[in-house]
Amino acid sequence: QTLTGKVTNGADNTTLPGVTIVEKGSTKGTVTDSDGNYSLRLSSPQATVVLSYIGFVGQEIAVGGRSVLNVALKEDQTQLNEVVVTALGITKDKKALAYSVTEVKGSDFTQARETNVANALSGKIAGVNASGLSTGAGGSSRVIIRGNGSLNGNNQPLYVINGMPIDNTTPGGSPTTNGSGLNVDRGDGIGGINPDDIESISVLKGGTAAALYGSRAANGVILITTKKGRAQKGIGIDYNSTLMFDTPAVFPDFQYEYGQGDGGVKPTTQAQATNWGRRSWGTRMDGQPYVAFDGLEHPYSPQRNNIKNFYQTGSTFTNTVALNGGSENINFRFSLANVDNKSILPNSKFNRKIANLNVNAILSKRLSLETVAQYNLEQATNRPSAGDAPGNPNWAVYMVANTVDIRQLSPGYDANGRETQWNETPYASNSYFVVNRFQNNDTKNRFIGQANLKFNILDNLYVRGSVSRDFYNFRSVGVIPTGTVYTANAAGEYHEINSSVSETNSLLTVNYDAKFGKNLSLNAFVGGNKRIYSVNDTYIDGTQFIIPFFYSYTNLSSLTTRPVNQKTATNSIFASADLDYKGIAFLTVTGRQDWFSTLSPQNNSIFYPSIGGSFVLSQAAQLPAWISFAKVRASGAQVGGATPDPYILNQTYSMVQGGHDGRPLQQVTQSNGVNLVTNSSLRPLTSTTYELGLDMKFFRNRLGLDLTYYNRKTTDDIVRTSVSRATGYQDVLLNIGQVNNSGIEMLITGNPVKTRNFNWNVSYNLAYNKNEVVKLADGLNTIEVASSVGSWAFIHNAVGRPYGVIKGYTMVRDANNNVVYNTSTGYPQRSALTELGQGVPPLTMGLSNTFTYKNFSLDVLIDGKFGNKIFSTMDVYATRFGLQKSTLPGRESGLPVSGVTPEGTPYSATIPVSGLRLYYDNLKNYTDLFLYDGSFVKLRQVVLNYNVPAGVLKPLRIQGASISLVARNPLILFRNTDNFDPESSYTNSNAQGFEAFSLPRTRSMGVNLMVKF
Amino acid sequence: CDKGFEQMNINPDASSTITPAYVFTKAQLDALNNSYYSTGVLASGGSIQHFATYKDVPAIGDKYYFQQGTYPYDFFQNGYPNAVNEISEVIRAVSTDASQVNLLSAARIWRVYTMHRITDLYGDIPYSDAAKGYTQNLFTPKYDTQQAIYADMLNELDQSVQAFDATKTTFGTADLIYGGNIDRWKKFANSLMLRLAMRMTKADPTSAQTWAKKAIAGGVITQDSDLAKINYLASGQDINKNPYALSMRNSDYSPGNGNDNIEGGKLARTFIDVLKNSADPRLNVIAVVWNGSTADTTTSLQRGMPNGLLVKPADFKTYSEPNPVTVLKLDAPVLVMTAAEVNLLLAEAAVRGWYSGDAATAYNTGVRSAMANWAQINATAGSISTAKVNAYLTKNPFPTSGSTDAKLAQIGSQLWVTLFPDEQEAFASWRRTGYPALTPVNVTGNITGGVIPRRLLYPPTEESVNNTQYSAAVARQGANLLTTRIWWDKQ
Repeated sequence: QTLTGKVTNGADNTTLPGVTIVEKGSTKGTVTDSDGNYSLRLSSPQATVVLSYIGFVGQEIAVGGRSVLNVALKEDQTQLNEVVVTALGITKDKKALAYSVTEVKGSDFTQARETNVANALSGKIAGVNASGLSTGAGGSSRVIIRGNGSLNGNNQPLYVINGMPIDNTTPGGSPTTNGSGLNVDRGDGIGGINPDDIESISVLKGGTAAALYGSRAANGVILITTKKGRAQKGIGIDYNSTLMFDTPAVFPDFQYEYGQGDGGVKPTTQAQATNWGRRSWGTRMDGQPYVAFDGLEHPYSPQRNNIKNFYQTGSTFTNTVALNGGSENINFRFSLANVDNKSILPNSKFNRKIANLNVNAILSKRLSLETVAQYNLEQATNRPSAGDAPGNPNWAVYMVANTVDIRQLSPGYDANGRETQWNETPYASNSYFVVNRFQNNDTKNRFIGQANLKFNILDNLYVRGSVSRDFYNFRSVGVIPTGTVYTANAAGEYHEINSSVSETNSLLTVNYDAKFGKNLSLNAFVGGNKRIYSVNDTYIDGTQFIIPFFYSYTNLSSLTTRPVNQKTATNSIFASADLDYKGIAFLTVTGRQDWFSTLSPQNNSIFYPSIGGSFVLSQAAQLPAWISFAKVRASGAQVGGATPDPYILNQTYSMVQGGHDGRPLQQVTQSNGVNLVTNSSLRPLTSTTYELGLDMKFFRNRLGLDLTYYNRKTTDDIVRTSVSRATGYQDVLLNIGQVNNSGIEMLITGNPVKTRNFNWNVSYNLAYNKNEVVKLADGLNTIEVASSVGSWAFIHNAVGRPYGVIKGYTMVRDANNNVVYNTSTGYPQRSALTELGQGVPPLTMGLSNTFTYKNFSLDVLIDGKFGNKIFSTMDVYATRFGLQKSTLPGRESGLPVSGVTPEGTPYSATIPVSGLRLYYDNLKNYTDLFLYDGSFVKLRQVVLNYNVPAGVLKPLRIQGASISLVARNPLILFRNTDNFDPESSYTNSNAQGFEAFSLPRTRSMGVNLMVKF
Repeated sequence: CDKGFEQMNINPDASSTITPAYVFTKAQLDALNNSYYSTGVLASGGSIQHFATYKDVPAIGDKYYFQQGTYPYDFFQNGYPNAVNEISEVIRAVSTDASQVNLLSAARIWRVYTMHRITDLYGDIPYSDAAKGYTQNLFTPKYDTQQAIYADMLNELDQSVQAFDATKTTFGTADLIYGGNIDRWKKFANSLMLRLAMRMTKADPTSAQTWAKKAIAGGVITQDSDLAKINYLASGQDINKNPYALSMRNSDYSPGNGNDNIEGGKLARTFIDVLKNSADPRLNVIAVVWNGSTADTTTSLQRGMPNGLLVKPADFKTYSEPNPVTVLKLDAPVLVMTAAEVNLLLAEAAVRGWYSGDAATAYNTGVRSAMANWAQINATAGSISTAKVNAYLTKNPFPTSGSTDAKLAQIGSQLWVTLFPDEQEAFASWRRTGYPALTPVNVTGNITGGVIPRRLLYPPTEESVNNTQYSAAVARQGANLLTTRIWWDKQ
């Protein structure tokens, strides 16, 4: 018995693709194709089918023996049936929600794809600050929801797939702000999820939404629902292919008037040219031949194309095939995806293969099973390093003197394999040597398995048990090769990381539904969760290869291995009750108790509640006709948390491998290579959120407004912070005072034009977050989060100030704003350490437009962030080396400077041309000179899509096909940084606000092809 | 619901209790293995013109440049979390048990040794509040005045010596310096007391005299057999190798051809000229010139590179650099405190009338010990014949009939040579005595106004995370500059 038919929009008779049709009481179902047609095998001619489609009133229709059933759906004016996925994978009616949840469809990620799906959230959701890093295709993301609540703990949200958490750690840790060598970003957990497998993403922003997830949900939760199989005739095949090309997007605006040299003189010998490899303090460029560092004569002319010449066009080729199929009682979806990335950095590559299998089965009348199994194989070759100069391939490309063609540095090594030094210091690596000789390869094997068994005891009572495990095995081998001049004896270094990490969750819930009378219904559940997180790492670090070029750790003159073996657990019990009064008023109450293994038994448990309610005004009262829908909501919740690391309660002692000359050696156990003051009195932290919201729709849903105010208070935050080394320790763990975040989020959606052929949808989101560090620990009024190379700038959290302020130095000035000079050195006096700006943007926005004309659609996404400052390390160096335009004054006849002496008498001097370099070099001491407004507006994404008409496809037996032209980050519409992209962060750690020679940000263009068979 | 949690929270790779002997050994190694290249060679050795470099970045001592790096802070930053914290942990572990009194005394003496190296570089430093992060949760340690630190260090030495008890146990072989020998520890403590006492000759001559006399009366290291040293190995982990030799090799002299020195370093002209002009036989032990791949010790070839160069000189290869088989020998011992130094200090004490012995005798004994010390480093290449020593002493006799200044100049200049390669101590000694008189370089753009540095800089993190205490110290001692004089260096 097969039922066929067409589904249309009752209002205008247009066909509706994607309408879900299921046979009631079975798993049989299908969706309409691009022309609105469907075909469904029924188990009985007398079956009832249920049609549902977002934005339309659902229908239940008794088939009554018909074989053709055409249905016209009615638009749902109140969007009553819009459901979203919430905590623990429970779907809820959106109007019942007492908090803000934003859902994004998976299709939004597949056309203009980012390799890391988290980056694609950028600009899409109010209050979600997603920033991709400048670390290449296999790199991490940093997603911050409603501001940074923790002063330096994890601020990123919890990622949950089909109701179960996954691991999102970065193997080997995040890159540091002033690290060198192999200071690379080795990717995070969310980067291993294939966008094509995603049905939808729900973002639970506040603690109220996430309270059921407990401790790790304090920063919000990103819920990912993967695609499931569907019952259908034969096997459905979906194929999606994307090819994208990347090129550097921002080029520094350096000076090209005075060339390589020093003291107004150009090099005359090879030795001089090498010593002055990064000095653009020569004479006026004249195009005449001069001796460059390769010993040959080259014209003394500007070399403006070093970035274009060094970097290559990167490419990312992504292919996903998904098979769908199933029968009455069992259905499946199996997908295979391959991402092949070639970085803009030569010899740097990334490959990711993902196999994902989803099987759903009805085992008996009462028992059903859902399973997901995913296997990832991720391989990265030569991930780019950032931070300080040693081993950073990007550094020389920018800093080489402005008359030197970067290609002169190629291949970067001599006949003996020794690095060709291009400048005075061995620590500024030769870019070609790094890309040609450094080895930095990692492989991640990851398995995610989930099984979910549901047993219906009664029609309104069921038990559900879920087990999930996210396990990865990671090996990274970094070779700083023989011949690297900054390493000891130029004999290289070896760094290996072997890491096995698993996150295992077992969840059991008992759910109960009941109706009391006609108007009141209850949904309640109780449950428990056990989470075990385990880390087994071995770090192998050694120096000096004994036999040159033989890169095994058996061939090192000095070698240490460091074990990290950790197991932590969190046990939880929780309960939730939802009450619904006539679909008008809703109340949700939850409670959860956690026990943490990482805290001392006296302090290891915390209970926290949440309560929320919503009221649908438009149902309860007669509102003016132009208001289609109105709802108010309010909620409050608390979430507790603990330190993620074990062994932090009491000081322990570790042996130093090998001892000394037959004597054992012991030292205080280190944590990440430094001494940490352990703390046995740590208490769980709490994060308390209040949220108020208003949800309205006007003019037959053509205009929508969603407003949220929230206030989030984090107390007893567990913070790891730097302390004076004179304490005997570098870091300390403390429960620290209080941090407040409050803000507003606004979402406006509109459908200004809607005709038969042309449709325009617009969505604008805006979020403002106000953040204040209210209190730190006794005796501490500021803590340091990070410091830049050279300690030229710091990031602090200070009492009374917003999260992450940038501190640094300025020139001392007198009351009349005259610079005060130290007369014996001739340099301006440097101020004490002072606050200079805020490193995190408080204001973010996104504007999305979708235009549809017949089979064409055009998506345009613009986003912006405002109000933060960035300290640019590159600008410091560019000033010191004479590349910056600001270093032009004084080049011909010296630079007159004037101010006052410390005693207040006038001071003036002329810096001779011969002394200009050191004068400008000294400016590094005044942080404010290199601080920029980080605000920007970017054209984030443009997608032009063409749906191939069904008439063309039918003869080819193709159900649907589309082709898109895609541009990611094509234009920066506004920025205040001349020489770099304001989004140049290279770490997903909390140290935000520094720029430092990361891989250039790219603009990507490409094409996407989707075919369904 | 928290069953098994405590067990889960026990680190399988660490011990919950300290083994004091093992940590003591580590503290001994770490006190010497602290940023030797940056602090010893570049900052100290450059300032006193033992070492030179034509480059800019490493020229903190050579040209009084500070373009980049952490050279002026390294000793402070590495010192506290390693040697200072370790020795403090040892003291904490053994201080409550009377049977461990010899362990406690050795640890207290070693703590003084460790701390004096820090205060001599920086002046006022966290001392009484130091290394109390874990035990007292003291996270913003105050800076003590150097005067108070010196007073306490001298008391500590005195009390530790008194507390030794020959009937009780010692660190034994865990003590790399003396293998637990109490008598030698007493001599070491008294010698350190003498060093600290003499350090105060400018700032507090009265106390200097009192403590010098006390030290001498207690018995100091006068024989080479009593000198304090730590032995190293040629292979193994980095920590097993001579930290001076290893860091100089790793950071600068590994190419071993005289031309490609990574940081452009050489021995300084001032140093080589003094050795040559005085016909000092140590010249041939310390310095080599590379002739192809041969390290040549011939006297006539030796020449030092001038300080303050801005460009690599064309004849860079022809300048002297440290001898790979002595100064750069990985399994050479580090000499912590020698009879040579002590005898020279005794000579000075005699000149000042604080010591009843004869100044010239003490001076000559000191010089002979200083020459003999190189045989400790390398028994063949470092061996200096008695004839050569005699010839040297004949050519450079102690000015017995000269003025006090002339005598002090001779002793100070001898210390300047003798203490090499303990550059930190040589830098402190030079700042105190003023000898030999050095001519500063004054290169455009330097940060001292052409004055030889008198101290190193507090780390920027102190201003960042310990601001109140740091600011109080700076307000008291003077701006955090290379030119600010510390307490014992006040003119």
